[in-house]
Amino acid sequence: MHIEITDLRRRFGRVTALDGVDLNVSGGMYGLLGTNGAGKTTLMRILAGVLPATSGRVLAGGHDLSTRAGRLAVQQRLGYLPQDLGLYPDLSPAEFLDYIGLLKGLDDRAARRRQVDELLDLVGLAGVARRKLKGFSGGMRRRVGIAQALLGDPALLIVDEPTVGLDPEERIRFRTLLSSLAGGRTVLLSTHIVEDVAQTCRQTAVLAAGRVLFAGAVTDLTARAEGVTWEIVTPGPPPTDGVVVSAIARADGTHYRVVSHQPPGPDAVPASPSLEEGYVALMRTAQVAPVG
Amino acid sequence: MTALLAVARYELRMLARKRSLWISAALLGGVLVLLQGERGPRSLPAGTPAREVMATWALLFSILMPLAYGMLLADRLVRDRKLRVEPLLESLPHASATRLAGKYLGGVAACALPGLGALLVAATVEVGYRHDPFLFVWALVAFAMVTLPGIAMVAGFALVCPIVVSAPLFRILFVGYWFWGNMLAPGLLPSLTGTVLTPIGDYAATWLLGDDGPALFAGSPGWLTFLRPDPSGATAAVSIAVIILCGLIPLAVTALAGHRHARVTWPANQARPTREISPTTV
Repeated sequence: MHIEITDLRRRFGRVTALDGVDLNVSGGMYGLLGTNGAGKTTLMRILAGVLPATSGRVLAGGHDLSTRAGRLAVQQRLGYLPQDLGLYPDLSPAEFLDYIGLLKGLDDRAARRRQVDELLDLVGLAGVARRKLKGFSGGMRRRVGIAQALLGDPALLIVDEPTVGLDPEERIRFRTLLSSLAGGRTVLLSTHIVEDVAQTCRQTAVLAAGRVLFAGAVTDLTARAEGVTWEIVTPGPPPTDGVVVSAIARADGTHYRVVSHQPPGPDAVPASPSLEEGYVALMRTAQVAPVG
Repeated sequence: MTALLAVARYELRMLARKRSLWISAALLGGVLVLLQGERGPRSLPAGTPAREVMATWALLFSILMPLAYGMLLADRLVRDRKLRVEPLLESLPHASATRLAGKYLGGVAACALPGLGALLVAATVEVGYRHDPFLFVWALVAFAMVTLPGIAMVAGFALVCPIVVSAPLFRILFVGYWFWGNMLAPGLLPSLTGTVLTPIGDYAATWLLGDDGPALFAGSPGWLTFLRPDPSGATAAVSIAVIILCGLIPLAVTALAGHRHARVTWPANQARPTREISPTTV
């Protein structure tokens, strides 16, 4: 599903959450990066039809989200995993999915049950399908969350901060699952964990203070740090010039990776940048003054 | 329709699994059975018609058991927000009014379970004593006329009011209202007791009791005379209808507000506020 966002704005009283967002999202995995409070969740909620915008235009699959009919049309093809989704503790995963399936309009009981079983199997919860959700860990709850989002085989999947609070193994499993789902659909992944985007997305956008700082290929974002990424080994304190992205203590001293326009020390050597360094370089070169 | 039935079904399922529903209903029902006094159904002489026996039981249970229902239902609508399920539900392609109506139907059905169960247990015990199988039939009639409208009214307010006031505050206010509006003798203080608005089912029970006078205070002189017609079959029917309608009013208001919210549109363009993104060096 193609999404076209033009001059999208959302204000909460005097606070501007989105300030003229322009974006084009095509099929596959699309990462939405930004700091906390950048406006990612507001954008996700508008795209999911949960929150109205103040102004602007959003076309998703040709449907105008500023109208009720457009929102309903998109919601019928939408899978949404909100940030920090809660579940009914008194239901089992199978019951919760059955409930959401019914609300999504999956009327055929046999087909719905089959899909619920398949999705629970896909997310590795088939063995606990009848156990109450109140005893589930954070990772298991996220998996129930992604399973419900996949009910009805949606053309658009919106996942908001899905890996926050997961342990590394669970996080890797989760993003691999998301990546595998992006084959025939658009998956919009909102996160502030750069590594999640680096491992799963080809296209990404970076939001800061409600505006799009960057939209394009992940490789282009990485390239923003080319020529400004340095590696320096020193036994002393960290370099003061630029942003220290990583520091690893070894026998010969601490190995620092630094994003800086100037070499952070006489022994600094240029290094090949990562996406995280591209992101840091972008955020440092675009200093955003908030409005509102 | 599927969404409405789904919400009702799962709301019923979740509520029926709550031990607090059964424990509180059993405690309040048990207290009433033990402390019913001389006007209670246990004091009715042998040979009392089955409809009077079961009307008296229904009225007895209606004195306190709806308190449990009000307490229990007070967080059912706001619970979705508390549990953080609401954003997901709002992203689904159905109207918020559907969810509200489904929660209402499920809530009423769940609260009806202990209400009906208590009456059927009472009928079973009475059958052993009075040997009249029609007690079961009248248990159902009394449930439908005396118990169910009260549950319907309590459910409407208990679901919606905690959106405006908090659930704990609603519970306090509800207990106060219940004793003021159902049991406070109308001669003592201005009160809704004895009016057609009384959800305890006074008018319906009085009609089922026949010539034995008002069940509690139905039609007794007091405040708002026009709401205190003489008890009869017609006024019992009016009372049932009014009680049910009263419970639907807060639902209708909430559904209307949700509908207006859902129809919100926004303009495509607006003048850009000034704002700086300035390139600086690292």
